Amino acid sequence: MAETTAAPPKPSSSVKLVLLGEAAVGKSSLVLRFVNNDFQENKEPTIGAAFLTQKCNLPHRTIKFEIWDTAGQERFASLAPMYYRNAQSALVVYDLTKPTSLVKARHWVAELQRQASPGIVIALVGNKLDLTNEQSTEDPAIHGDDEGSTTETAEAESDGDARKISTKEGREYAEEEGLLFFETSAKSGVNVQEVFTAIANAIPETQMKGARGAGAAGGTQTALGAGTERVNLTGPRGEVGAKEGCAC
Amino acid sequence: MAHSQPAPSPSSPPLRTTPGAYPSTPGDSDAPTIVSTQLSLSQAVYQRRSEFTRSYTTKVKVGTWNVASLSGTEKDVGGWFVGGKGLSDTLNGLAIDLKNHSKGDLRRRSGTTDSVESVASQERRRSKKNSTLPRQEHVYITGGESIGLYVLGLQEVVNISSITTALGLDTDATSRKKWRKAVEEALPEGYELVAEEHLAGLYLVIYASPTLAPQISSVSTTSVGTGIAGLLGNKGAVTARIVLGETTRIVFVNSHLTAGVEKGNLERRNWDAAQVLSRTKFAAIADRSGVMEEFGEGIGDEDFAFWFGDLNYRLDSMSGDDVRRLLMLHTRDEYGKGQASGEQIEEELAAQRSPVSIQNGRFVDPTSEGEKSPAHAASTSSADSSPLTGSTSSGHLEPATDPASLQTTLSSLLPHDQLHAQMRARKAFYDGWQEGPIDFLPTYKYDVGSVGMFDSSEKKRGPSWCDRILYRSRKNKQEYEAKVREEREAKRADEEMRARGIDKEAEAEAILFEYDPETDADHDYQEEESSGVDSEVVETKAGFEDKLHLDSYTSHQRVLSSDHKPLDAVFTLDYEAVDPQLKAKIHQEVARELDKAENEGRPVVTVVIDHHHDHDDNTLEDVECATFEGVNFGHVKYNHPKTRNITVANTGRVQATVGFADRSIDEGHSTGVAPPWLSIKFDRLSDSHNMNKSTVEQYTLEPGDAANVELTILVGDIAAVRALNDGSEKIEDVLVLRIHDGRDYFLPLRGTWLQSVFGRSIDRLIRIPEGGIRKLQHQHPHGSSHGDEGVKWSAPREIFRLTEAIEELVERTIAEWGMRGEEAKPPWDDLVWPWAKRTGDEDCKDIKAVTNQIREALDNDWPIRQVLPIETSALQRLEAVAEVLLELLSSLEDGVIPEALWTQIEKAVAEHTNSKNYMSGEDERMQILEILSTSSAHSVSFTLITFMLSRVSGEIQSIEASSDPQEGYSDAASRSSKESTRPSTSIPDQDRARRIDREGTYANIFAQAMIRAPLAAKDRERKASEARRKHVIETFVRSKWDEEP
Repeated sequence: MAETTAAPPKPSSSVKLVLLGEAAVGKSSLVLRFVNNDFQENKEPTIGAAFLTQKCNLPHRTIKFEIWDTAGQERFASLAPMYYRNAQSALVVYDLTKPTSLVKARHWVAELQRQASPGIVIALVGNKLDLTNEQSTEDPAIHGDDEGSTTETAEAESDGDARKISTKEGREYAEEEGLLFFETSAKSGVNVQEVFTAIANAIPETQMKGARGAGAAGGTQTALGAGTERVNLTGPRGEVGAKEGCAC
Repeated sequence: MAHSQPAPSPSSPPLRTTPGAYPSTPGDSDAPTIVSTQLSLSQAVYQRRSEFTRSYTTKVKVGTWNVASLSGTEKDVGGWFVGGKGLSDTLNGLAIDLKNHSKGDLRRRSGTTDSVESVASQERRRSKKNSTLPRQEHVYITGGESIGLYVLGLQEVVNISSITTALGLDTDATSRKKWRKAVEEALPEGYELVAEEHLAGLYLVIYASPTLAPQISSVSTTSVGTGIAGLLGNKGAVTARIVLGETTRIVFVNSHLTAGVEKGNLERRNWDAAQVLSRTKFAAIADRSGVMEEFGEGIGDEDFAFWFGDLNYRLDSMSGDDVRRLLMLHTRDEYGKGQASGEQIEEELAAQRSPVSIQNGRFVDPTSEGEKSPAHAASTSSADSSPLTGSTSSGHLEPATDPASLQTTLSSLLPHDQLHAQMRARKAFYDGWQEGPIDFLPTYKYDVGSVGMFDSSEKKRGPSWCDRILYRSRKNKQEYEAKVREEREAKRADEEMRARGIDKEAEAEAILFEYDPETDADHDYQEEESSGVDSEVVETKAGFEDKLHLDSYTSHQRVLSSDHKPLDAVFTLDYEAVDPQLKAKIHQEVARELDKAENEGRPVVTVVIDHHHDHDDNTLEDVECATFEGVNFGHVKYNHPKTRNITVANTGRVQATVGFADRSIDEGHSTGVAPPWLSIKFDRLSDSHNMNKSTVEQYTLEPGDAANVELTILVGDIAAVRALNDGSEKIEDVLVLRIHDGRDYFLPLRGTWLQSVFGRSIDRLIRIPEGGIRKLQHQHPHGSSHGDEGVKWSAPREIFRLTEAIEELVERTIAEWGMRGEEAKPPWDDLVWPWAKRTGDEDCKDIKAVTNQIREALDNDWPIRQVLPIETSALQRLEAVAEVLLELLSSLEDGVIPEALWTQIEKAVAEHTNSKNYMSGEDERMQILEILSTSSAHSVSFTLITFMLSRVSGEIQSIEASSDPQEGYSDAASRSSKESTRPSTSIPDQDRARRIDREGTYANIFAQAMIRAPLAAKDRERKASEARRKHVIETFVRSKWDEEP
């Protein structure tokens, strides 16, 4: 065996990521899609916190996500700090068809901003896009960027659209709070890789486990606002995935 | 009820059906780690390297030239180095490998030779402003766009004899700019500079073609000075390391070693080279996934190395001038008649008494060799249009076998070459370095401006092959090392043989005799000379298979601008290059596989909550309970332990280490692994049982193993009871069962709290309606206003019932004791009896069961007598009831004497103590009762208890008194006789003293349980307060008999 490979690895590039959100919004399904590229109907609720790892290749580094997929049931809410403490990133998930889930998501965002590590990268994710009329025919990330209100009207008029929270509403809230924002479908896979890739991109190298920059806090969140735009406006979906996929 | 989270991969097969899923040895800790790191990722990607590499072929041209800091030299560099021009048909023709040129090429060349500018004309027009290369020349050496990598090493681009230059103080970059410009102008479009390094007069530049440039990475350049003081840059090397296609490491060394013909100079050259080898260090190579090599590499770690430059090795044991003249026999034919240099050469040769030649390394007189003088031979070949075609015409000998040919002359000189000698002697460039065949004239030293005039100055320096291009593959180096090892082995074997003595000599001879030149390879001079030309597969450091082939190696004789001729070599390199896109794809696949293996290889446990039904719980079980997937304790009562079992089974394929995690939510604030009312017991010792108590107990389970965990709930803390009673808290919690390196399982706990009379206030107790507190179970905790309106007992019925039961049971206990006629000491010998809680003895368990029944009776408003088990003795019952009473009193929120009332009583007591007015017990009692009467329920409770205490004391006193005569007959006798002498020790006096002691003890115990006094800060105050409390209770306990006349 050549000696090349016997070289010691760089200081750890693990990123702790926690998923938070109301029960049954699809947290575990997002993880299952991301990690196994799989989907299961009628998944049992998570009683506990599932732990999985997944690597994500960026052009100049490989990030290893250590994912903690937490139980969404309210009675387990008090245990959440065990998981978001020391996390460098969080996925706050809501269900596009369930307004209360966004309320809960807002609570989680507020709690994270108050209690979690400063500089934590938070992505707000509206899941179950497959239940809306958008499905996977177009990129929901660009949807409603220029003509938000028009989209909303169109959605409301369409038949069989279970959407209750407009893209505009989610996006505006995310922008206010400096969060990454995506609408996804764990079922169809739309935008799932993109969420994780965007998080990986938003994590500065100094924030990596073991080498966390103390002063990076304020700057990170500011940078994220810009990052959201950039990520969301990046061309067709397929291209992004191919270039910097998280081992998908 | 069981909840078992599916394993991260739902497709993981059931354990039992997977043969070999269990580790062969339980507890085998050598199991490969499943956690992948950057390192294991790199390794796994490397394993699949063949899938993302592709074969490429490129040509590398290495050129070297000592330009002697002469201006105008830069005008020639493009022509010879990039253009491949400046060869002499006659003098360099030998260098051109016929194999590499088609016959068409040769024909074209031979047909157009006339158009090439003559040497005379070339020398005549030479100036520093223009290229000295011949005009209308044809290109023999591969150049232009056919070359992927141009590597040029120059020496003496500045005057290195200047001290400023040697010290490296000369920071003027003009000369380097000049050289770069000259090379870049000659290079085809799109070639990129990939490396550049200089040291004093040394200058190294590397250019890559547009297709090759993107494959080059990890470029590192460095320099080593070995000149003045062994450190300065007037001599030394500039070096570059590149990595081609992420697979092939190539090193280029451009060096200028010490000059001079003396023996010391030779040794210094060897030293210089060794210094360059040992001191050259490159930057560490980083691969694409960011893995850095720990140390920078030196020379020898590469796959291919090229060492070139003015190495300054000379010809040994030869007269320089003789060599000059010998060689000029060949060069003079380059000149036409009437040409200055040509005539000068003729003159010099004519002045010689006899022309010289060298054969087999010895000088010989060519005239004595026969009719064919070198001059004749040369002229014959010059008459031919090209010497190269000579082999095709009949009557001409092959140059190599023609004794008068240039090739023969060179071959005879080469054994005197110092460099080859040093290589053979393993003093320099020995470890695998190769050189192409030298079939060009020595490159040094010429008169500037001349094609073939060797140094005509007074010094008449001996021509030498100072300028060289060596190369080495990884394989060459390894073969050398293997050979050295073999030799060492052989030498040792020889020595051993010698040591074994004369007997074995014959054997040794036999071995020697067996030597067969056919099979025993002859590692000799020949091999070192030429083996490198053949391209062999070289396994690179990164594990790829490359090939290097030397295409040509020659000097450019017709370059006139320096006293050295430039030299170049063209190599064909077959190498494997990483296709970055393919590699990225494989990298992703591998990462995915590793992730999958890691996620699937995690320990998995299944948690089963054992079914459990209490006979008493079913009635109150609600719907929520039925669907509850955690540990349900059912009905939970005060101070009544209840146990549930869970099974934690390792259903994964690897060892699992489990333990309940500390659920500390806030940093620095630990909530522990479980709520205070829960205790956890595993059916085995924890991993750390013999070590210091670690923070969290962990238990390791082998695959297939299962642990039983006992969870016991016991709510005994009164604060918790109150919170549960008033509904501000519930029996609800979540345990976190953590699997090391795996997931967390949440284990929800719940129980239904059954309302209890314990922990309440007297005011609350008197409002409990008929049927008991449990009747209020499902009512709003604070909605006492309607449900129990109108109910108000004069005192808590619990106190009434308990005191009543105690009075009755004391009588019965004493009676039973008497009936049994026990010999043992009666329990009441102990003053504390029956108020001391029993621990440790056999009765303890029975009593505990009884106390539970009594509590149950109180909470349900059942008569106590009804619940007392028949099989228990009166003694056990009494102790159980006594325990419950004290427990109840202690648990009272307000106490029998609440703090507010106590403060008043304390004040009153203190007042008359201070005034020293005599106050009878009766008056004191009256005063206290008056204060208590403000709350009649408290007052009644107080009376019930003190009355009961007094009665218990009285009963015991009477039985003790009645038993006295039996045991004290002698006492009675002595009493009658000594009545007068010991009046103070009469039996009534003894009994009285004992009763006082007993009642004091009772008072002490009950004062603690009944009276709520403010906390005293100081120890003295606290003691005083305790004494006052005891006094107040004692006053009432004693009242019954104290006041009797």
